[in-house]
Amino acid sequence: MTAAEPLPRGVPPLYGPVQARRNRGLYGLYAVVLAFLVIDAVLFPGLLSRDGFARLTQNWFPLALAGMAQALVMLAGGISLSLGAMVSLGAVIAAVTMSGPAGVGGGLALVLAAGLAIGAATGLIVVRLRLPAIVVTLAASFLIGGTALLILPRPGGAIPDGFSDLLAGDQPIAFGILVVIVGLWKLYLATPLGLSLYAAGENPVAAHNAGIAVDRVRIAAYALSGLLSTAAGLFVAAQTGSGDPVIGDSFTLNSIAAAVLGGVGFLGGSGTMRGALAGSLLLSLMINVMFFLGLPPVAQYVAQGLIIIAAVALPQLRIRGRRS
Amino acid sequence: MNAMNAGKTSAAVPGRLRTVLQNRALQMLVIVILVWIVAGLSSRGFASFGHLRYLLELAAVIGLVAAGQTLVVIAGGIDLSVGAIVTVSAISLPLLSGAGDATGLVGLLATLAVATAIGLVNGVGVSALRVHPMIMTLAMATFLQGALILVAGGTAVSAHNPVVEWLGSGRLGGIPAGILLWLVVSGATLALLHATPLGARIFALGANPLATLLSGVSVPGTTMLIYAVSGFTAGLAGIVVLGMNGQGYVGIGDPYLLASIAAVVLGGTSVLGGRGSYAGTIPGAILLVTVTALITVVNASPGWRNILFGGLILGLLLLSGRERARR
Repeated sequence: MTAAEPLPRGVPPLYGPVQARRNRGLYGLYAVVLAFLVIDAVLFPGLLSRDGFARLTQNWFPLALAGMAQALVMLAGGISLSLGAMVSLGAVIAAVTMSGPAGVGGGLALVLAAGLAIGAATGLIVVRLRLPAIVVTLAASFLIGGTALLILPRPGGAIPDGFSDLLAGDQPIAFGILVVIVGLWKLYLATPLGLSLYAAGENPVAAHNAGIAVDRVRIAAYALSGLLSTAAGLFVAAQTGSGDPVIGDSFTLNSIAAAVLGGVGFLGGSGTMRGALAGSLLLSLMINVMFFLGLPPVAQYVAQGLIIIAAVALPQLRIRGRRS
Repeated sequence: MNAMNAGKTSAAVPGRLRTVLQNRALQMLVIVILVWIVAGLSSRGFASFGHLRYLLELAAVIGLVAAGQTLVVIAGGIDLSVGAIVTVSAISLPLLSGAGDATGLVGLLATLAVATAIGLVNGVGVSALRVHPMIMTLAMATFLQGALILVAGGTAVSAHNPVVEWLGSGRLGGIPAGILLWLVVSGATLALLHATPLGARIFALGANPLATLLSGVSVPGTTMLIYAVSGFTAGLAGIVVLGMNGQGYVGIGDPYLLASIAAVVLGGTSVLGGRGSYAGTIPGAILLVTVTALITVVNASPGWRNILFGGLILGLLLLSGRERARR
């Protein structure tokens, strides 16, 4: 895969049509997200102020990162059941190191390095040893969650106030960071590793025959997914001001839900990051709206379950209806 | 896995013995017995009859959940809602056994019907709506988690149901009723898998769904049936758990989801479907419980407990769980 050579004459451009095809299934989701945004803004007019927007995006941010992390692994043809434990680990490392001699910078570096390294190790085991991702990450969730409990047996530690206020204060900085991350993702997709991700997930054998280093591409996806997960943990710790070794547990299922709502497939190579982001935004808006409607917090689980099934089943039924 | 072992042993060991040595269920059984012997020698109380019987009682619950899970996994699916179904069953039994139900059988049957119905809905979602099993059962688990708290509230409920109390603490000839129930279910599951046409269809479905469909097997019917059975066995497990604990509460079934998958995988059933047996799952469940008990004996902190448990699953996987085929 050498530098971009200009396409020979007569070859139709690929980028536009491919993007349009990937968007096709998502218009419904965008409409639902928009509807929820409107409902949320009507119920809670403060949303439109800068402060309200900052809160909204801060509630969304960790799930957005987790959804992206899960989507990355799923695009590479895997799944991560250890994502929640990674979020916890990120939160715990941040809470323990940042107020110590390492400082904010050192803590940040440690959190990101741990995510990258553990993600890469998980990917190495899944890809090189040809073990099923679901079982490896299940076992990894115990290993990682256990490590988080060893580092911080009970909620505690501290995030320096300045750093907490910076990330989770009344300025929409979290949203800015998310925009940067999405921009970096676009850049990643333009690198050889990113370009090969869809091919390696969709059809590893064909991708291999086409000269793609499939294993390396998939391991890189796991490593980046780990990085995003611990970063989400760091943010959660900054939000709460301290660390909690089990705070990430709910992120495993919610990240899968976000990716699935966003149209990311379980078999690899199908789906988009913008879908996963929209899916995570929908989940976070839904929780917001139900809270303002005065519904008990558990009602969100009921709604979540129904929405996920509907989101997956309806397109299937429509395809079948068209065929018959 | 088999081919790899065969390469090492073929020169020295005659054919039939080799087949026996390669039997995953037997390998697991040997591991369990070795662990029991070592643990018994190093820890005085471990090998006492009472303690081993208690371990088997705990393993029975995992074994019951894993019975349905084994069928689902062999058929190429996965059931992530079994933990929630265990909870549903443990909580709805007290709600369903009314005052006029003296024997407790009506409440028991109604609970099992509810659990089976939930499994059936999973099956309908997977086969008729074509939702991926992982999504369908995950969404079902999420739904049930919320619905349970809405229906039952956050408090624990206790049952005064004679049948359930007997299942949880009764004995027949010194053997706890839970273990007896597990024996019966094990026999039925093994017979279903290896001695009936349905069992052959389940293996076929996991190996190649399209070929199975083209062979004239009703794939939707078989799929719905398997998920319904998984709901049923999870419901049974919930009743035994309720009997052992005395009360049911939200979250009581959560540990059994991962435990059931771990037992199935340790037992040598391929998560890709089409290969495996419940005969391996049985010692798998016992090994899980044994190791958990050992970790408790050495008085490890919760962190180390999780690390040891995860390391065990990963280690056993590395030893023998490698998948030959790439998707």
